[in-house]
Amino acid sequence: MQKKLNSALAEYLIALGDDELILSHRDSEWCGHAPILEEDIAFANLAVDELGHARTWYELAAALLDEEPARFPDHLAYFRDASEWRCVQWVTLPRGDWAFTLLRRYLFDALEVLRLEGLKSSAHAPLAEAAAKILNEERYHLRHGKAWLLRLGLGTEESHRRMQAALDELWPYAAQLFLPLPGEAALAGAGVVPETGGLEAAWREQVEAELKAANLTPPDDFIPVLRPRSQQTEHLMDLLAEMQMVARANPEARW
Amino acid sequence: MPDTQWPRFMVFQQMAPGEPLVHNGTVHAPDIEMALLNGRDVFVRRPRAHAMWVTPVECIFAKTAQELADGTWLAGVQDAGGAEEKYHVFGKLHHLGQLDQLGMVEAASAPMAMKRAIEGFGGKPVLVWWVFPAARTLYSDEAEAESLFQFSESHDFKNQAFYPVITMMRQMRAKGKLED
Repeated sequence: MQKKLNSALAEYLIALGDDELILSHRDSEWCGHAPILEEDIAFANLAVDELGHARTWYELAAALLDEEPARFPDHLAYFRDASEWRCVQWVTLPRGDWAFTLLRRYLFDALEVLRLEGLKSSAHAPLAEAAAKILNEERYHLRHGKAWLLRLGLGTEESHRRMQAALDELWPYAAQLFLPLPGEAALAGAGVVPETGGLEAAWREQVEAELKAANLTPPDDFIPVLRPRSQQTEHLMDLLAEMQMVARANPEARW
Repeated sequence: MPDTQWPRFMVFQQMAPGEPLVHNGTVHAPDIEMALLNGRDVFVRRPRAHAMWVTPVECIFAKTAQELADGTWLAGVQDAGGAEEKYHVFGKLHHLGQLDQLGMVEAASAPMAMKRAIEGFGGKPVLVWWVFPAARTLYSDEAEAESLFQFSESHDFKNQAFYPVITMMRQMRAKGKLED
């Protein structure tokens, strides 16, 4: 029984780590390109934070699977093909413009904070401990995102138009965020993780109020994306081709 | 060429509870709230922080020891009366390094605040004086200190010296592998 739970939890953690790592990579694509120096630095910081979160989840998974914690994260990041990744499509979408990047982050961070508040009281102690630490950083990420949401939503005609276009594009993909994660069914019953579907109402209430305050309106006519996490798209393949190229060209390289 | 950047804000940082704040640098930001967030992201990573203040650059009233040396400026400062407000006082005590927090004075104008700062804290060899109104300063919220600053203690950051690039380049040059 415990063994089954352990492997379910490892699957769950790897999916969480995949979300973090791919979002981190997409955000890191702004390094050197953000609209202003301070924001370039801020965004690189956020991306590094997410990278650290991915490593934390992967290391916890390693412990559950009897893998070597120092090597397992690299193995997961560099030596899996797209079909083996379990991230949501949300994080794989190309970075778009600055409005798209900020809005994607803000909406995702709002969900992460809710999930981490649940994980903080996980029955699996190492998970609860890691969640509390990560929650601290995600609260800051959310504050940063919310500050920008308001300023761009209420800023100029152009900033508002770009934010609304980003929201129209992103909104259909939100449906996938609330599908159960791999392994979740067994874990939620045992008090190890919160039910992802159960976070949706609180998320909607919060972000819809904040979007409204920023004068942004979610589209009401769209087809929700409900693709399972096991089905990846060409966006992830392109990203992996770049991210994994050096590691695969020389697997023994050290840096 | 016109400045197309956002307004500038001075950033002050407190490393640990009870320590004086130090001037850390400037950031651009569209407003003072974003200045605090930008200050956090630009300056807090190394080494750590407990609190942060930001104030618009134009709120800083500054005098150097040279400007004050002959006493003319100070003698000309008149107390014109009016409502007093609190001013923070910072001073540069060493040629190298930043300005440190010295304390606070109350005055009805920036020049009067400067005069009172010099009277109150002039026992120290101050090279540069700054005064700025407390009411135009934004302070990080104690309740948010954890989410704003704690990461700087829980992350491992590599010091630039960790990367042996400079040593490596020197060795390569010495071996004649690189043209200067």
